[in-house]
Amino acid sequence: MKAFRNILPPLIPFVAITAAMEFLVRGGFIRSYLLPAPSAVFLAIWENWGELAQAMLKTSASAMAGFALSTFTGIAAAVLLSSSRWVQKAFYPYAVFFQTVPVIAIAPLLVIWFGYGMQTVIASAFVVSIFPVIANTLSGILSTDPALRDLFRLYGATPAMTLFKLRFPAALPQIFTGLRVAAGLAVIGAIVGEFIGGGGLGSVVDVARTQQRVDKVFAAVLLASLLGLALFGLINLISGITLRRWHASEQSL
Amino acid sequence: MLRRAFLRVAPALALLAACSKSAKIRLALNWKPEPEFGGFYAAPFDKHGLDVEILPGGAGTPTVQMVGAGSAEFGIVEADELLLARSKGNPVVGLFTVYQHSPLGIMVHAERNLTSIGDVLKEGTLAVQQGLPYVRLLEKQYGFQHVRVVPSPGGDLTAFLADPKFAQQVFITSEPLAARRKGVAVKVFPVSDIGYDPYTNVLATSDETLRKSPEMVKSMVAAAREGWRVYLDDPKATNEKMHQMNPSMDAETFAEVAEAQKALIEDDETRKNGLGAMTKARWETLIGQLKDLGYIPMAIPAEECFRAL
Repeated sequence: MKAFRNILPPLIPFVAITAAMEFLVRGGFIRSYLLPAPSAVFLAIWENWGELAQAMLKTSASAMAGFALSTFTGIAAAVLLSSSRWVQKAFYPYAVFFQTVPVIAIAPLLVIWFGYGMQTVIASAFVVSIFPVIANTLSGILSTDPALRDLFRLYGATPAMTLFKLRFPAALPQIFTGLRVAAGLAVIGAIVGEFIGGGGLGSVVDVARTQQRVDKVFAAVLLASLLGLALFGLINLISGITLRRWHASEQSL
Repeated sequence: MLRRAFLRVAPALALLAACSKSAKIRLALNWKPEPEFGGFYAAPFDKHGLDVEILPGGAGTPTVQMVGAGSAEFGIVEADELLLARSKGNPVVGLFTVYQHSPLGIMVHAERNLTSIGDVLKEGTLAVQQGLPYVRLLEKQYGFQHVRVVPSPGGDLTAFLADPKFAQQVFITSEPLAARRKGVAVKVFPVSDIGYDPYTNVLATSDETLRKSPEMVKSMVAAAREGWRVYLDDPKATNEKMHQMNPSMDAETFAEVAEAQKALIEDDETRKNGLGAMTKARWETLIGQLKDLGYIPMAIPAEECFRAL
């Protein structure tokens, strides 16, 4: 019953939107070469399942690798940045660089640096997903409750101890927010990377677009969003397990 | 509440009304203003009583869909693209082809001493736009077992210049000139070598526009034909105009490309039948090829696909 109550709310807009799209296309209000009917998209998934599943596996491997890299590097970078005002002033602007870099523009260079194939795709996923991890982790670490910080100092805690026992745990809710944003971006980054590096759902989209297979383009896009959703769900799960005991954001509503 | 909502959309509505009133004829290009469209920029539309707005495009501008959806009355498409669209229920019809022969080619480093397209596929890397019919034909004829096929970087030459075993899909009128200017000796194999030679840069409209305004379409083709005559004879003024719109291509390149493409535009066929003319036989060949490659489920009557005006 509880599962049903959780699934029902998102299911209603899904059914409504799908039905409306099907109606608009079948009724001839929108031409099928501009927007495929949902039934055509599901049929395309069914007919090309082997190819799409393989592509999806490849894209998820790259997206997860890029995301994992962002998570570790991003958190480490944020911890370093939080170590002193001076370091932060000196290096934070360069972290912002990652947020503004247009991946499409540097894509040919990524190919030169990392070669065609998965490394380029991972690099692209990494570049676009690291910034939210750095920004959120940093802001989390810097907004520790001053009273608690004073308490730690009063008891003579070393800076390392303060970091690992107080500041880092206290920053976890914000870190997870950063990771949720980064997860979706990693999937986008991977697909953009595949446009230029080859392989995965990005290639499927590229080829299908050239062949004017709008149904297959949408099929691949749908699978890519499912992938993003799955990653998002995974992080929610981890966040739930870690924060359930003490943070308001994960206690049942 | 309702009134407030209306006030918010009112400017948009007004804009829509204004757009439909001016009734400009739109010609959608699938790339930036470059010599491949020179004749359209040189065309004397006024003389034919036409008020034409040329819409420059970019990588992947879906001109076929734009023409089908009516967001442009005319568009520049490739012949194979047009057939694919027709088979998917998007009735677009060809009127005038800029290139009699496909400008697509495979560029390789001259130092490899290759003698045919088949040689290119024996080793190294091949960057092509996967999904194009010629790529599938290439695979069918030679197989891709020995070559690494990667996505085309568009006009970017970085990977090509860095790797002597790198081969790349190009416009034979464009990238080879750029590579040579960088001091690299190159050799180009036209894709038409394997027998795949679709009309390219075809001026197209929808069946509906052709039915509703046949006179306007006829004037458009006449203006285009005159424009291309002007551009072939003396591209200088038009090149300057296009260079201002697209400063990323320098004046020298404009002149070189305009010269290099002449052979693809004007041949014995056009001297007999006029610039831009297309034949039923060539369309039939292409239709047969696309059917064999599985791009279209069944043959389309060739006479539906183009009109000689």
